[in-house]
Order: sequence, then C-alpha cells, then structure tokens
Amino acid sequence: MYLNIDAQKEMTYDAIVVGSGVSGGWAAKELTEKGLRVLMLEKGHKLDHVTGYENAMKDPWQTKYNGRLTVEQKETHPKLSRDYPYNEMSEKYWMNDSDSLYKEVKRFDWYRPNIVGGKSIMWGRQSYRLSDIDFEANLKDGIAVDWPIRYKDIAPWYSYVEKIAGISGEKLGLPQLPDSEFLPPMEMYCVEKEVRKRIEKDFPGRTMTIGRVANLTKPTQFMVDNGRAACQYRNKCALGCPFGAYFSSQSCTLPLAAKTGKLTLRPDSVVTNLIYDENKKKATGVRVVDAVTLEERIFNANLIFVCGSALGTTAILLNSTSNRFPTGFGNDSGELGHNLMDHHFRTGASGTWEGDADKYYFGRRANGIYVPRYRNIGNDKRDYLRGFGYQGGGSRASWQRNVAELSFGADFKEELTKPGPWSMGLGGFGETLPYHENRMYLDPKEKDKWGMPLVVFDAELKENEKKMRVDMANDAAEMLEKAGVKNVKSYDRGSWLGMAIHEMGTARMGRDPKTSVLNGNNQVHACKNVFVTDGACMVSASCVNPSLTYMALTARAVDFAVKERKKGNI
Amino acid sequence: MNRRDAIQQVALLLGGMISAPAMAGVLGEKTNFGESVPVSAEQEAFLSELADVIIPTTSTPGAKAAGVEKFIVRVMRDCFPKEDQEKFYAGLTKLNTDSRSSFGKSFVELDAAQKIQAVKSLTTNDKAFFLRMKELTVTGYFTSEVGATKALEYLPIPGRFEGCVPLKPGQKAWAL
Repeated sequence: MYLNIDAQKEMTYDAIVVGSGVSGGWAAKELTEKGLRVLMLEKGHKLDHVTGYENAMKDPWQTKYNGRLTVEQKETHPKLSRDYPYNEMSEKYWMNDSDSLYKEVKRFDWYRPNIVGGKSIMWGRQSYRLSDIDFEANLKDGIAVDWPIRYKDIAPWYSYVEKIAGISGEKLGLPQLPDSEFLPPMEMYCVEKEVRKRIEKDFPGRTMTIGRVANLTKPTQFMVDNGRAACQYRNKCALGCPFGAYFSSQSCTLPLAAKTGKLTLRPDSVVTNLIYDENKKKATGVRVVDAVTLEERIFNANLIFVCGSALGTTAILLNSTSNRFPTGFGNDSGELGHNLMDHHFRTGASGTWEGDADKYYFGRRANGIYVPRYRNIGNDKRDYLRGFGYQGGGSRASWQRNVAELSFGADFKEELTKPGPWSMGLGGFGETLPYHENRMYLDPKEKDKWGMPLVVFDAELKENEKKMRVDMANDAAEMLEKAGVKNVKSYDRGSWLGMAIHEMGTARMGRDPKTSVLNGNNQVHACKNVFVTDGACMVSASCVNPSLTYMALTARAVDFAVKERKKGNI
Repeated sequence: MNRRDAIQQVALLLGGMISAPAMAGVLGEKTNFGESVPVSAEQEAFLSELADVIIPTTSTPGAKAAGVEKFIVRVMRDCFPKEDQEKFYAGLTKLNTDSRSSFGKSFVELDAAQKIQAVKSLTTNDKAFFLRMKELTVTGYFTSEVGATKALEYLPIPGRFEGCVPLKPGQKAWAL
C-alpha cells in the first residue's frame, strides 16, 4: 500500500478540538499555551472578530424591518422562528432549518449556530458558579448518579477562567451562589434598588443582586493588552461586539490561542465521527466532511477534546460506532444520549412602578438583576426537588409603549417622545432533573447533507418541574406586590426543552463507568485520550446559567490531560 | 463622541477595520419573491400623507419627512401574508372612497383639518386598518433617522452606564 507520509504528517496534530464555542475556545487556548499543536474543527462558517460583525454597528434605520421576520423567513425556518434569538439581525449566525434537520417525538427547540465562536457570540453572558448544594444534590436526593467532583475541585478553576474571561458582579457571600473573581458590578436602576431593599426586609433569606455578566465593566491591563475594551453600554452584544467587551471565543480565547502560533482553525468542517483503533485502544483521529464541498478528510491526533455543544457532541459520539463501541463512543454504560436537561423558564410576574417619574438612566445596560435560589435551601422544604433563580429587572418605557389606543396627531407624538412609566419583572430559571428517559438518539435511516444521521429528541418536563413552575410564578408575584409594584400579573408562557439553550447531560460524568460516560476529569471512562467538556458532561443542571462551569471544567480537564500525556498515560 | 469618532476609535483600538455598513441598495430591495400586492406610486404617496396625520411635523419633522411610507410598504410586502396585504390596501382604498363621499375630494387633496377629521372617522369605521397603520407608522418613524435623532435622543455608543440619575427637564426618551 502506498502511504503519503508527508500528507499524513500534515494532517496530524498533537490535539484536535471539535467545536469553537465556549468550551472549544478554552480547550484550544489551554492546550496551545501548554505547547501542543492544535487543530480546531468548526462546523460553522468563518466569523472574523470585529470585521465579521456586520450588523453590530448599524443604526435602527439601516435595518429593513426593525428586526421583524419576513413571511419567507418564517416559512423556511419553522423551528428557529419559534422564539426571539433568530431575527433579522442575527440570521446569519444560526443554521438554516433546511440544513439543521432533526426529529421531535416531543417538541424540542434546537438552536444551532453556524459560525466560528458558536453560541459564545450570541450567549446571554450570565455567569454563575455552581455550589456544593448543586454538586451534592443527586447524592442527597438519591436520583441519577453523584457528581464525581465537589466545589473545592472546581473552585480554583472558576477563579482561573474568571480572571481571563472577565465577569462583573457583586459579592454576596452566599453558600448557594459562590462569589466569582469579580470586575466591578453594573449599577441597578432606582426601582431595582428599592425593590431589593423591600425583598430583603420582607423575605429573610432572599436577596436581589445585579446580574453576574461576562461584560467588562473595567478591563484589567491583561484584557486591554489583548485588545479588549470596556463595555460601551450599547446592548447589542448578540450581534458580536466590535469592542471585544464581552467574553466570546473571538474576543478572548481564540486570540490567546492564536498568539502561541500553535493553533490551526478550520471552519466549515463537520466532524461526523471519531476513529477508534481497536489495537491501540485509543481514538486516532476524526473524520470530517467539508460543510461546503462535502469532501471527506481524516485528521489525526493523540488527544481529542469534543466540545461541539452538548447535543452536537453527543450526536458525534453516538455516530462513532466500532466493534468496541457498537452503540456509540464510550457508551459502555448505555447512558450516552440520556439524561437530557435544559433549564425551564418563561414563567414569572411583572407589574408597573409608580415612583421614580423624575429618575432616568444613561446608557443601555446589557444585563438585568438576579435573585439567587432560596427554595429547598436550609429549612425551606417544598413539594418538589431543587429550585430556581430569577432574572429580570426594571425598565422605563419608550416609544414602544401603548398609549391611548385610538390617539394620533401632535399630542400623541409629543407623548411618545417622553419617557414612559417604569415597570419591574422577574422571570424564573428552574432546574430540570436528569431523567434517564429524557433522551436524544440517532435516526436509523435518515441523514443530513453531510451524512450525519438525524437526531431524534424524546424529552419533556415532568411533575417536578411543573410543581416548581407554580412557585416560580407565585413567588415572583408575591415578592413584587410586597415590594410595592402595582398591577402585578403572573404568567406562564410555557417552556419546552431546548428553548433556554442550556442543553446538558447527554454524556454525563460519574465515578462508575457502568453508569456514566465520563470520569471526574471529563475523560471518557473507556478511552483515555478523549475528553468531553461541554454541557454534555453535566450530572445535574443546577438552576444557574451553565457556561462559566464549562469554562472551568475545560481548563481543569486540559490541565489533567496534559499532565497525563507527560506521564505517558495518554 | 459621535459615531464616526467611535468607529475610528474601535478600529484603532483593535487594529482592525470596521466595514462600513453595507447599506447601498439595501433599502427597498425586494426579498419576498412570493405573491405580493403591487403598490402604486399614488398609494405610496397616500400612505405618506396618512402617516403624516398620525405623526405630524411639530417642533420636529413628522412621518412624511422621515419617509415612513417606504418602511410601511416594505414591511407589508415582506412580513405579512398576501391576505393581510390585501386587507391593508383595501382599507387604504376605502379611506379614499369615504373621503370622496364626505368631502368630495380624495384624501391627499384634503386640507389639514379635514385630514384629521377623516382619520378620526377611520378610528371607528375601520379600527383594524387604523391600528395596523398606526403601528407601522410609529415603528417606522421612531426607528427612522429623523425620528430617532430628532424626536428622540439617539446615542449609538453611550460609553458608560448610570442606572439612577435625575430626569432633566424636557429630556426626550432614549431612542434605544
């Protein structure tokens, strides 16, 4: 057999990172900084920092429809157009429905980015640490499996990533929501300050703080030296920030990885499966289909980090079958694809605030307030497990408000040019339990245009979540009313899995290879040179936004992997 | 700091170039290739007059000066199904018919007071059309350059945030 040794070398790297989002970016940065030559494979198109954010600096009159979707977009994007993240301005960042084929035994909203940087570009940037209340929850409740790590294992890694990513927030010293290494907090509106005081007075054990957010309120010298500037308070983050003022792969991890000279980034590269060598008992590389030309290629490495976001990663693993792994890569436990979680939300309350007519604000704060979890903590016991936090905030209405329905003319115009009334709202984000039967699997017949079998979702919210939602709506209304907010209305707009875009759990960590896919270092139990550090690894969902945890787990896993590599164990 | 300065500052800061908003030819470009109701120049002028009654020129320019009719035509054509477009333009035609029977003149030929009277009748005669027209006018106007920068206070790059400051006398609402 003829072997082109040079070509083989050219396609061989020290490590391959699949995906360029939050987790992939950190993996690439940490691996390259530790001296490894890294190939990063991203399914989406190239998106250059600053110059690629083509809608970021547009004025409102430079949009065609003020963000509205056209009839054609609604028809061609029946799934993506179910909720707001897909709109006129962000369209290019998401995969087309016609490419993003999947099946729903039960409704599942799958938001798949189509760009380098993945969802780190469009994310909500809310950044919270998990606590031991989260890490011990499964063990205490006797459900699913125990987390193989505790807070002390991850705490130094939270600190490590926070100092590089930049998280702004206020220290509270709460056991259920450990403090981060904070940049200065953003300010609250007057109404929020007052509501906070009243909640703290009337509801001992509850508090309200400014959102902990990955926007640079005051960048460190290190951040400035890396081309990042302070937040300009434009509130257009999701379009990409030309100031590099919030954490994204483009603003933070990719430039640092590139600086080492050891990163090769390959966009338009759809990884379909890992290649397993039965003799070496290791993964030797990945198979890639070019997103545009559909050409196939193999890339080799002795270390593979799969960071394709929970569902993307799990699809790749399920599609990586071999004699050793007939039902999916590392799937000795049979748990791969199971325990699918997301947060449930879209329930809470809001009302009007009659004070502060003489108060206003300057700038557009890309952040809200946060009420840390208080349910099922300490002596509080509910008829459901776990808890929820609230995100929300005050706002002062502008021209969008509804004034007298049938009015028009000079007075009507004059009225709309003045600031309107204040309002205040709280929306819950609740923990979803890891149910074995909530799962994704691959369709045995149908494939997408890159030859990937279609993902099928069969997952739903159950009794525990439904009971929690009652509290989420009622508590919000009760707190707002007590705080003096008027016309308080609670709501439940319904929540479907996938919608919060916090997918988790489908290749969970655990101590026992018989009941989990990954060990406590995010390493596949049954294949030592493959790591998974995105949301797939989560053992329980907590109720806090998860991305910061992926950053910390990724940095921690790379540290472990490189040490093992040096010892010759990988 | 104005917008141009801000952009230059970013460009310097990050050592990159910001592409000028690729706007040439974008406005008015047709994107809905499905069936749509054709709109004549007369109808467009009519929409402009009607919008200007809803948001007239006061101490600041009104809907007509802002070119709101372009936004209305574009959004109706591309963002609404054909039956809604038909209903909308039928409502417009009906307003003209009513105008002729009440004043003996088409809507655009009415004097300012008559126009206001005609729109007042419209709020009861065809509330659905009035509300749709009003919604599109308001959105089109306050997101137009004239509306955002003259009727409201527009600050593309605030540069700082203060959450709780006194409202200055006569202060206009933020455009964003």
